[in-house]
Amino acid sequence: MAKDTKIIETYEKLRGAARKRLEAERAEGIPSIRITMSTCARAAGAEETKKAIEDVLEAQGLNARIISVGCLGHCYAEPLLIIDHPTTGFPPICYYNVDANKAKLICRSYLEDGDPAFEYVLGAMEENDLIPPVTTFPRFSMEQRVVMELCGLIDPWNIDHYLDKDGYSALASALQMEREEIIEIVTKSGLRGRGGAGFPTGKKWKFAFEKSADGKVVICNADEGDPGAYMDRTIIESNPHQLLEGLIICAYAVGADEALVYVRAEYPLAVRTIQHAIEEAREYGLLGENILGSDFSLSVRVFQGSGAFVCGEETALIQSVEGRRGMPQHRPPYPVEKGLWGKPTVVNNVKTLSSVPPIIRRGADWFRSIGTEGSPGTAIFSVVGNVKHPGLVEIAMGTTLRTLIFDICGGIPGKKKFKAVQIGGPSGGCLPEQFLDTPIDFDSLTQAGAMMGSGGMVIMDEDSCMVDVARYFLEFTQKESCGKCTFCRIGTKHLLNILNRITKGEGREEDLETLRQLAEDIKKGSLCGLGKTAPNPVLTSLRYFMDEYEAHVKEKRCPALKCRDLIAYYIDLEKCARGCEACVGSCPVEAIFTTKGRKKAIDQSLCVKCGECMTSCPPEYDAVVKVSPPELAPIIERPPDQQPKRAMDGADS
Amino acid sequence: MVQIIVNGKSIEVEEGQTVLEACLSNGIFIPNLCFLKDREHPHASCRLCFVEIEGRPAPVPSCTVNVEDGMVIRTDTPEVKRLQKSAFKLIMSGHPCHAKTCPTEKPCTLMKIAKHLGVGLSPKPLEKLERDIPEVVDFGFMFYFPYRCVLCGRCVHVCRTQNEGKPLLTFARRGFDTMVAFFSDPGENVEAKCRSCLACINICPTAALVLKADERKTA
Amino acid sequence: MTAPEHLVTEEEEKAIKAELPEIFSRFPRERGSLIPILQAVQGRFKFLSPGAIREVAKYLDLSSSEVYGVATFYNQFRFHPPGKHEIKVCMGTACHVAGGDIILENFERKLNIKPGETTPDREYSLERVACVGCCALAPVAVVDDHVIGYMQPSKVEGLFVQFEVQREKEKREKQAKESAG
Repeated sequence: MAKDTKIIETYEKLRGAARKRLEAERAEGIPSIRITMSTCARAAGAEETKKAIEDVLEAQGLNARIISVGCLGHCYAEPLLIIDHPTTGFPPICYYNVDANKAKLICRSYLEDGDPAFEYVLGAMEENDLIPPVTTFPRFSMEQRVVMELCGLIDPWNIDHYLDKDGYSALASALQMEREEIIEIVTKSGLRGRGGAGFPTGKKWKFAFEKSADGKVVICNADEGDPGAYMDRTIIESNPHQLLEGLIICAYAVGADEALVYVRAEYPLAVRTIQHAIEEAREYGLLGENILGSDFSLSVRVFQGSGAFVCGEETALIQSVEGRRGMPQHRPPYPVEKGLWGKPTVVNNVKTLSSVPPIIRRGADWFRSIGTEGSPGTAIFSVVGNVKHPGLVEIAMGTTLRTLIFDICGGIPGKKKFKAVQIGGPSGGCLPEQFLDTPIDFDSLTQAGAMMGSGGMVIMDEDSCMVDVARYFLEFTQKESCGKCTFCRIGTKHLLNILNRITKGEGREEDLETLRQLAEDIKKGSLCGLGKTAPNPVLTSLRYFMDEYEAHVKEKRCPALKCRDLIAYYIDLEKCARGCEACVGSCPVEAIFTTKGRKKAIDQSLCVKCGECMTSCPPEYDAVVKVSPPELAPIIERPPDQQPKRAMDGADS
Repeated sequence: MVQIIVNGKSIEVEEGQTVLEACLSNGIFIPNLCFLKDREHPHASCRLCFVEIEGRPAPVPSCTVNVEDGMVIRTDTPEVKRLQKSAFKLIMSGHPCHAKTCPTEKPCTLMKIAKHLGVGLSPKPLEKLERDIPEVVDFGFMFYFPYRCVLCGRCVHVCRTQNEGKPLLTFARRGFDTMVAFFSDPGENVEAKCRSCLACINICPTAALVLKADERKTA
Repeated sequence: MTAPEHLVTEEEEKAIKAELPEIFSRFPRERGSLIPILQAVQGRFKFLSPGAIREVAKYLDLSSSEVYGVATFYNQFRFHPPGKHEIKVCMGTACHVAGGDIILENFERKLNIKPGETTPDREYSLERVACVGCCALAPVAVVDDHVIGYMQPSKVEGLFVQFEVQREKEKREKQAKESAG
């Protein structure tokens, strides 16, 4: 296509109009209140917070604009508010953990009296002399945001906000380039697929581009199924237009005329957000016929995945779009050769596509300057589990696990010791302390036996049982196996059965060897990526935590006191306070009774080992003890006049 | 025609064939359950037909690779045998073997595979698996025995071909609970339609689908 | 299993059938519409009745068998009517580490049903779901599409007290209305 200044003109007109509208809003001079309203913030009570703000504004006759934004990634601090009150001289201020009451207090104090209520402030959003800016906190400053740069700062439901930040300018420049030129830039940038496997994106595009066909398809894979990973959802809910821009650029580069975004139906807010964004883009001429006045046309639709983890695998995903059982197909042919309805199809992850606009805007060299030689750019992790500041973190590839876990996310809470980090969800592995100084990238993780996967990261302290964690992931993959191939369908079931036995204290010594051999065979013999990676949690935990397996098998003991069949709770009569009833009410099964000296004891035959008594025992007594193996708990006879009420009721009827 | 070398022996085979077909038609046995010639795309689900091909880093299912001139193939390396034995044991762990009541013609497909691999029919050291499925399901004019079924999918495939893309048999549920199901529309004269076909029953390698009238096999 | 296990009356099926043409008309008549149509039907009726499956097959010119095979593959689809209140307990990684199974067990005990079942009075249904993506709030339960974070066994109790209060209130309002009318 010849250089066409018309495209840039059309784009600049769009951006100019958007800026004018926002400018007009700002000129009114009224305060703006940004509130995070992504799924996780809603779970933390953001809807109640928003309602409280609306109520207080109305009751007090205050004038302010409430803007719902996406997620900042700081899940530990949700719901978050950012209040910009320009006439006070304060910078925009960020408040954290704002429940309905706090919201009322903050609004009245700041909007009515001009006092920013410092006790609830997390930090300022800009450099200033009055309030420490959040950008100096490690949780902010050590991150490097490329994909999530605007997440939580703009209104995902208003395209003007994205245009204002030069959104879609990469599309405008791309439309003026030759297709090969774009592919060249993406190839040079070294961008690798963020879905987990790390296939070079430029190479994939090139394959599709070179294929001559009647029609080609681009699919954005947002079928994020890894338990513990939610970055794709967050990106869609917080900045859908950057993703769409990347998707359109990809479609243009490979010559596709049809695109779809495959989102899990379990993410209703993400589905609505991307649908809305598509409509907006269409209205603005950024989608549909003759995009930005060019001769390129593209239609995009949303397809909702219906709850099958395996559909994250590209061939299975395509099967499900075609209305079939989502069973992976043997590759080759790869989807770039023969995909949806037989057309060449590029399947790219949300993070991959969202990385494209910044690359086009700032160049391949800029992108290469971030991250490592083999894995340029950033990685997004959802850091959860036993960590002080959980949430989404975008860091340069090559950052060490130690920096990520201890410096950025604040380390392990409650003076507990770090034990392991599980990376990559069910396809990944558990890595022990010795890997803390490993720089994280695609290749280093694979070498260690884990996997980047989609970026789920669970931090585990000394109270986590590695056998139980392996069992948990196997249970997941076993349930999610599509059932097509022998190794995955039957093999994972055996792995799970053996692990179940071990965590119940019924393990046999030969189990460990069977486990290892079978896991290796499944890895080699399975048809698709799900089966090939399913044994990783078992193999890594066997490699790094053999002593725990042995304790379970040989001593019937769970060193982490986690496996419920191998533990028991009892009450230390030395510590138990006479007459205290705290534990009795907390027990859901009436297993606690009064023994000598009005102290309490646990009926082991009824106890379901939920641990509520331990939580409810006042810290000054701290009388509930957890032991493994369960035989270590002293047995105290329950007197006949103290039988549980439920059982007595049963006897009556 | 192209030349390939299998286990050190040069043979001439037809172009466009899969390695599995080429070997089988030249008297070289490779264990297989799910392979069907007329499938457009290899099902590749039973994971028994592994071979090693020179230049490839790991064993591949031979039903997924087309022969190429000069291809060097080994069907009997330790790595191949290990995967085949492992897959076979997995299949046997979900397939009860009651020599007395099993209605298949002896030796059955599974016995042939066991003999080729030099293993017994027991899945040891793996345990026999229980499944949350009924012993037998009534498909109207035939019975389905889920435990006998190895989910090779041949019946589902032939049913689709016989009924021009509108099969009566399907895979239902998922994963370990997958089984074959039969669904007919009301008013459809299934009995007449199916009786003249019986392709599914004839192609089943483990007598998991049996005509009700065939009393010997329904015991 | 030649038909989904369920209990749907003929009248219910009739009512469902009457609404289907309108739902179908929103989708092109092609195989690719199968899953979106099933989602729309379930979205409207909360489950897929055998009659609905047959109608979908007819509309898309597929065999019922094919449609049934597809529907049973995906976790999303249900073949029996759910309870009035839908309780889903997250079994994601973070929730597991935080004791999600203990929460699930509490619901099971309280309702006396297993995951995937509905109470006989069709009041509650219980499901275990894969990660709902609120890991920082683990353990999490989703009750009638409302995510509740930091679940505890005592919160389970509290939830049912709330339902009880609500039911009582509705009952009283109804009575008040009746006596007023």
